[in-house]
Amino acid sequence: MSLDITLGQYYDTKSLIHRLDPRTKLFFVIIYIVAIFVAKEIMAFAFLALVLITTIIVSRVPLRVIFKGLKPLTVIIIFTAILNMFITKAQSEPLFSVTIIPNAWTLTLYKEGLINAGILALRIILLILQTSLFFSYATTPIELTDGLEMSLSPLKKIKVPVHEFAMMMTIALRFIPTLVDETSKIMNAQKARGADFSSGGLIKKAKALIPIIIPLFISSFRRAEELATAMECRCYHGGDGRTRMKKLKMKARDYTGLLLTLSILAGVILLNLYTSIYSI
Amino acid sequence: MPIVKIENVSFTYGRKTPYEIHALDSVNIAIEENLITGIIGHTGSGKSTLVQMFNGLIRPDSGSVIIDGENIWDKPKQIGKIRFKVGMVMQYPEYQLFAETVKEDIAYGPKNMGLDDEEINRRIEKSARFCGLDFSVLEKSPFDLSGGQKRRVALAGVMAMEPKLLVLDEPAAGLDPRGRREILGGIKEYQRQSGNSVVIVSHSMEDMAMYCDRIIVMANGRIILEGTPAEVFSQASVLQSAGLDVPEVTKIVTALRRRGVKISSDIYTIQGALEAIAKCASGGEENVT
Repeated sequence: MSLDITLGQYYDTKSLIHRLDPRTKLFFVIIYIVAIFVAKEIMAFAFLALVLITTIIVSRVPLRVIFKGLKPLTVIIIFTAILNMFITKAQSEPLFSVTIIPNAWTLTLYKEGLINAGILALRIILLILQTSLFFSYATTPIELTDGLEMSLSPLKKIKVPVHEFAMMMTIALRFIPTLVDETSKIMNAQKARGADFSSGGLIKKAKALIPIIIPLFISSFRRAEELATAMECRCYHGGDGRTRMKKLKMKARDYTGLLLTLSILAGVILLNLYTSIYSI
Repeated sequence: MPIVKIENVSFTYGRKTPYEIHALDSVNIAIEENLITGIIGHTGSGKSTLVQMFNGLIRPDSGSVIIDGENIWDKPKQIGKIRFKVGMVMQYPEYQLFAETVKEDIAYGPKNMGLDDEEINRRIEKSARFCGLDFSVLEKSPFDLSGGQKRRVALAGVMAMEPKLLVLDEPAAGLDPRGRREILGGIKEYQRQSGNSVVIVSHSMEDMAMYCDRIIVMANGRIILEGTPAEVFSQASVLQSAGLDVPEVTKIVTALRRRGVKISSDIYTIQGALEAIAKCASGGEENVT
């Protein structure tokens, strides 16, 4: 079983993107996602792909690492694309049509369906690659939640416990690698006792997981308790009056980043308006 | 025939990432049958990685692992079978317990082997005895036990599989001196009675000196010394350069020798030192220069 997960896999190259303020990166990713869904024209997608490629080059994270994050999602992408291919109905002449159950279920494929499916797959791929580059490989989880807390801090005025949420998120993110580690350790220990996780039917497979899940739960509770005690020992009492060792500070490069981000959205809108090869 | 033969094995963690760690670097060893072999090395010397090769939990990047005359990676699909032959107790094994009662937990391994109930019960009793577990404990939940007892349950769970080779990674870590003595003593007794081979990984020189027949010393993913405890502990300078040390009692003996006491140099257990010092004392003046 592979335990490859992209979340929390910081890939440090100390590039410009790594050094940006997390708030800038947060803003960039949100605007980029908006732009992906605003984009309608092929040129607009080409532009967004170009932005992705540029950021990958600037970040100096190797392509192999970036595409590893896409691998577990290939099935989902293919599945949604195929689904989209056949549910699109159009006025034009169908490319082909297959009757599976007479008078009830006919699969019809239109040219628009193909284009739709392609666009959808492209959207998902751009979305995943760009977010994982900025949030997993180029930002540590701690920076990310710090950035989130700072960005949302105006909500504190209306009594939203922003700090507590951010702390919960930090802890959750922090413990993902620990839990992955622990899972593989326990799996190894049970494998050494002859456990078999791959053969048998569904029920047998589910049962084979019990010797992993129970120790995992127990150690998670133990960890939670230890962490809570440790935090209390250091007089942690929530966000009020808490100061930071590393204060986030927007620098010139961050303001440039914000401007560039806005220009990406503007560029996509302009390309939508002034190019028309395929209109969807 | 050696039970384990490792030929030219290398292994790197996180290959092709910035976190590459060369854990093993063309290691060659042979571990003889019917002995307790100790593997020592400082943290990160590759000893845990090495022993996880014995039962196929880690596949070497290059080189071959031959267990009982069979290259275990000849048929990678049947790697599970080697785990009945090589029992492995990981570091802090108490965190792997899961069953409702101690008895069920110990029975997990033997059940996976497909043994019948009668045989399983016989093995539970036998391994519980070696691990110093009281029979009244068997019906309790493993989560109600103390840390030391949990460790024994986990150990018994692997011992009950009666593997030809039992590998223990730091079996006594974090236990008090009495707990260490009892667990390691139980392991030695198991080895002597069953005639199976045992490998203990540790960085406690004292434990190794006391319980092992042979010792392998590792540093930076390589084997730097190999031999009987006497042979290994006579190489104090090599050990020190590897970030290790000789047993405390050997240091005392060396200091005595430096002061002119005629005492043999290959003393590495407290018992041995006691006898040697007693001999010196009764031998009268001619032994002292």
